[in-house]
Amino acid sequence: MDVALIDYYANHGKSFLHSAAAPSKLLFSALVIASVVITEEFYLLLAIYVSLVSMAVWTRLSVTKIITIAAYPAIFAILFVIVTWDGSLLRAGVIMLKALTAALTMVILIVTTPYPDVFKTLKPILPGIIHDGLYLTYRSLFVLLEMTDELVKGLKVRGGLTKKKYLRNIANFSSGIGLVLIKGFDITEKYYGVMKVRGYTGKIAADKNSGRFSTDDLRAVASGILIFSVSLGIKHYGSIDKSGLYALIVAAIILILSIVYTAKEGN
Amino acid sequence: MSHLHIPDGVLPGWLVLAGWLCTAVLLAFCIYRVKRLELTRKIPLIGIISALMIVCMTLPIIPFAYHVNLSVVAGIILGPALAFISIFIVDLIIAMFGHGGITVVGLNTVVIGSEAVLGYYLFLMFKILMGNYSVGWSSGIAAVISLILSTSILVLVLYAAHVNPDLVIDTEKEPHIESTTHETESNVKNGLSINVFVKTALALLAFGWMLEGVITGLVIKYVSGIRPDLIEPDTT
Repeated sequence: MDVALIDYYANHGKSFLHSAAAPSKLLFSALVIASVVITEEFYLLLAIYVSLVSMAVWTRLSVTKIITIAAYPAIFAILFVIVTWDGSLLRAGVIMLKALTAALTMVILIVTTPYPDVFKTLKPILPGIIHDGLYLTYRSLFVLLEMTDELVKGLKVRGGLTKKKYLRNIANFSSGIGLVLIKGFDITEKYYGVMKVRGYTGKIAADKNSGRFSTDDLRAVASGILIFSVSLGIKHYGSIDKSGLYALIVAAIILILSIVYTAKEGN
Repeated sequence: MSHLHIPDGVLPGWLVLAGWLCTAVLLAFCIYRVKRLELTRKIPLIGIISALMIVCMTLPIIPFAYHVNLSVVAGIILGPALAFISIFIVDLIIAMFGHGGITVVGLNTVVIGSEAVLGYYLFLMFKILMGNYSVGWSSGIAAVISLILSTSILVLVLYAAHVNPDLVIDTEKEPHIESTTHETESNVKNGLSINVFVKTALALLAFGWMLEGVITGLVIKYVSGIRPDLIEPDTT
């Protein structure tokens, strides 16, 4: 999981999804996750996944990277499939697709939305301590990632992480984590001092959302509503023959058109 | 690594809701308990510990795809209430990376939160039993026991995910109720799956428990050597 790359994508992307406001994208994500939860049909889940790949194409970021980041839960989905194996390959496919589709939804959200915007949207429903904790965790994350990177490099250069000396490696790595923790505390203390000077009294003020609903917002919300409506419709009128397969064919055509369109625009 | 990497939409709705409800109640209780603390100083600490947990969770230990949680370290340094809040924050952020479903954040917080809370109290107990010079051993053993207990909670969650609660209630009311062939077959399969899971988990996770125990012990020993004031916060 490359947190720094995700943050870079979220802050430097130039697509309609990047321009859309965080609440619209959160609504889109919630609708797609709800579709994943209610859908048990393999082809329909595959159609949703392919639709999301189209969305990933529209972000104008590296689609391969996005799909790779979102593929991480597949490892654990395989474990879950093995543990709950009942002899049905279709059920195994459904579990795998549920994991991949939900993860891809969340990854599309975070590669197009800076974390602070997501937290700002969640502020009305979260207690103050959790909201502020989310902000400060996000801030500390990049400091610690850099420190951990330096630590690993330093350990390797000084022979602290060597092959076949596992016990010594664990001891050195643990001491390194302890060092990162203490350094992090020191930085936190300084940061706390700065916050105090700037009038921090236990609540971090967040910018208000602009409140304007743009065409980009409409496109994001409409995509979510479309996916959810199709899932709900097929779940409700499950008797429609091969409906999931038809949805998959439509999603595949949209994907091809999206690739062609973005490639043409790129040229 | 005792948390649930289960995708959205796989666990039954009642279980997911129960997880969120349980987390909401526990969070409300924790927030109530930490009100008396000087939170302006504690919130940045939550940030740094949560960030450290996320960094460690994103470092898989090859070839086992295992990662350490440092939840017991969080419990020992932040105290149980703040650690529980910190774990909710961690679960919410990693779910946004697709690291476990967003709908299972509630259940994950209960599972990992129990690790931190149990770890804190077990650490205090072992420290009293073993003396002040054994913070490393006390925290290491506390971490191993907490992980075993939290994995038991995880197994219970998975077991509950397979059991239709209506069926359980009916069976309790009428022990000789006739089940359909499909139900019987399904229960037998599920029973086998849970057995397989428990055996697999014990074999694979035992290594993880030991590793997390060793790392926790060494981290706490290192921190207590340099900044002993960070160990044992205000009891919350």
